[in-house]
Amino acid sequence: MRKVWMVLLAVLGLAGLALAQTTVRVGVLLPISTVAGKAALNGVQLGVDQVNAGGKVKIELVVVDDGNAPATAVPALTKLMTVDRVDIVIGGLASGVTFALSGPVKQYQPLFLCIGAASSVVEQAFSDYNRFFHYHPWDYHNVAAALEFFKYLYDSGARRVAILYEDGPFGSAGIQTYRQQLERQGYTVQAEPFKSGSGSFTAILTRLKGFRPDILYWIGYDVDALPIAAQTRQVGLEPKLIYGAPPAWPTGFEKNNLSNDIAGMTAWLPSVANNESRRFVNLYRRKFGEVTDEYMAPMGYVIALSLGRALEAAGSTDKDRIAAELAKVQMDTPFGPLSFKPSDTGRTRFQGFNQSIWLQFQYLEGSRRPVFPPNRAARPLRFPGNY
Amino acid sequence: MELLLQTLINGILAAGIYALVASGLALAVGVVGIVNFAHGEFTMIGAFIAYLLFVGTGLDPFLSLGLAALVLFGVGAITYLGLIRPVLAAPELNQMLLTFGLSVALQNIALLLFGADTRVVSTSYQGATLSLGGLSFGVPPLLAFGLSVVILGALYGFLDRTRLGLAVRAVAQNRLAPGLLGIETQRVYLLAFGLSAALAGVAGVMLSVMLYASPTVGFAYTLKAFAIIVMAGLGNLRGVVPAAIILALAEALVSTYLPGGGGWVEAVFFLVIFVALTWRSWRAA
Repeated sequence: MRKVWMVLLAVLGLAGLALAQTTVRVGVLLPISTVAGKAALNGVQLGVDQVNAGGKVKIELVVVDDGNAPATAVPALTKLMTVDRVDIVIGGLASGVTFALSGPVKQYQPLFLCIGAASSVVEQAFSDYNRFFHYHPWDYHNVAAALEFFKYLYDSGARRVAILYEDGPFGSAGIQTYRQQLERQGYTVQAEPFKSGSGSFTAILTRLKGFRPDILYWIGYDVDALPIAAQTRQVGLEPKLIYGAPPAWPTGFEKNNLSNDIAGMTAWLPSVANNESRRFVNLYRRKFGEVTDEYMAPMGYVIALSLGRALEAAGSTDKDRIAAELAKVQMDTPFGPLSFKPSDTGRTRFQGFNQSIWLQFQYLEGSRRPVFPPNRAARPLRFPGNY
Repeated sequence: MELLLQTLINGILAAGIYALVASGLALAVGVVGIVNFAHGEFTMIGAFIAYLLFVGTGLDPFLSLGLAALVLFGVGAITYLGLIRPVLAAPELNQMLLTFGLSVALQNIALLLFGADTRVVSTSYQGATLSLGGLSFGVPPLLAFGLSVVILGALYGFLDRTRLGLAVRAVAQNRLAPGLLGIETQRVYLLAFGLSAALAGVAGVMLSVMLYASPTVGFAYTLKAFAIIVMAGLGNLRGVVPAAIILALAEALVSTYLPGGGGWVEAVFFLVIFVALTWRSWRAA
């Protein structure tokens, strides 16, 4: 009889624990066939492992591919909301896709934790939606960080900037404003559009030889990185710095000698020296057997950890209570401190990071090294670079 | 003057690879009578063969040209036997939908296998330049141009001086008469489609050095190839090289001399299609 009571007590105890543990299903909507999307998913899964290991809450992920295209993303979100019936969605990597999701998100009203989507157009689209938490900096933060670097380059003697921008929405949005801001810093600027993916830069670069730019600044996609690096040398342009701003860099580019001394901007690299970054790198290596330098991986990780904290504090699966607790989260991350404030324009209520997370890197001896701002630099900027 | 000369050199060097891609397409259109929308995907397969051999064995992409040509000839032959031959008698719209479907399928297979990422190879000569009297010649485009000249020379030699080549030209001119004279048209079609794919594959290898390997690498070049074969006259193999040179020069001149010309490059190609088709319609009327 005593044994029966003990078994009953044990069963009841376990059941009590299970009841105390809050379990929530979370939809993940990412372009998982791209490097950035896969890295983001890995980061989310790593963060969820950490949250679940804590034992207080349990997150179950429902992962769907947004195909990096609005036509795939909208039905995928609809499936998450109507078939999988999740209340929380992590996603929104590309701006174009996220903009297209703004309508369906407002229709289904999930708690939407946005991992990327830097475009101010997205900020505008979600301006009247109070369950929108945007972790990534906005495009004006990106511009502010880049301009700070260009001010440093001006102080280092650079005077002429040639801007090559792809003529689609990504490259040409705000190019005139950018140009004016550089001119305000004292630069002489020549801006030229190009067709991304065409691989034909020799003619434009030949023309730019007459301008003798100190900085060749290109805004395009990963497909343009190698042709620009190669053809700059082929026409003998010899700028002091090649600075690229693609959303992602090509696979294997770091191993190509032509990448050497090319600079760019990112939010994180594995060599970033803070405790949370080191912890993330170790956990990532243990789980996936490699180190990533895609900043979307720690971004996904941070989202999962912050959601875990909010869930613990809310002690409920109610999305509004979770959102209220998420708004109060303050934590150290691989990018630095995270807390939510209204965006600089006041359009959205919950903005996570700003321009302070951006750092400038340079491809040096086969890997990307932080070179600016000085307090986060692992190596001094090589300026002028050898192209 | 130096800028003009450099611009002309840039245009002529670019014309080599344009002509290579367009010659393959012209073979498919002119001999087999198929508008092959999957031609760019054959180029993409060539680029991935070079990339994978480079990553797996360290083989310089230019040394994988022969293997890529053989593999793509096989891919072209299988495609012809399995997909093209059954629809040869079908309406042209069906044929075009079939090759369009093949293009989408091949791109998606590449996406599944390799993802959407851009992959680059690393060779010692990618940024190398030869200088001559103040003019620059990029080594990869020069190599690609030289190889294109050799390959196209061999192709024209084959078409002009061999019995099989003459058979191919005969079929291109008239689909019924060569059969009556004992030429096996189905074999000629098979050969032409295989050669067409092989040329695309060789171009893909060159693109892997000059640009990148990705599921969409062939798309832009196929569009240009369509403009070139339209300008040359559909099926006119001899007109492909001059048309490629004219278009590449127009592209280079617009990029260099028109303010913001880099954004007008594709417009030049489509303007050429528009003008060529309209002019032919007026002339025929």
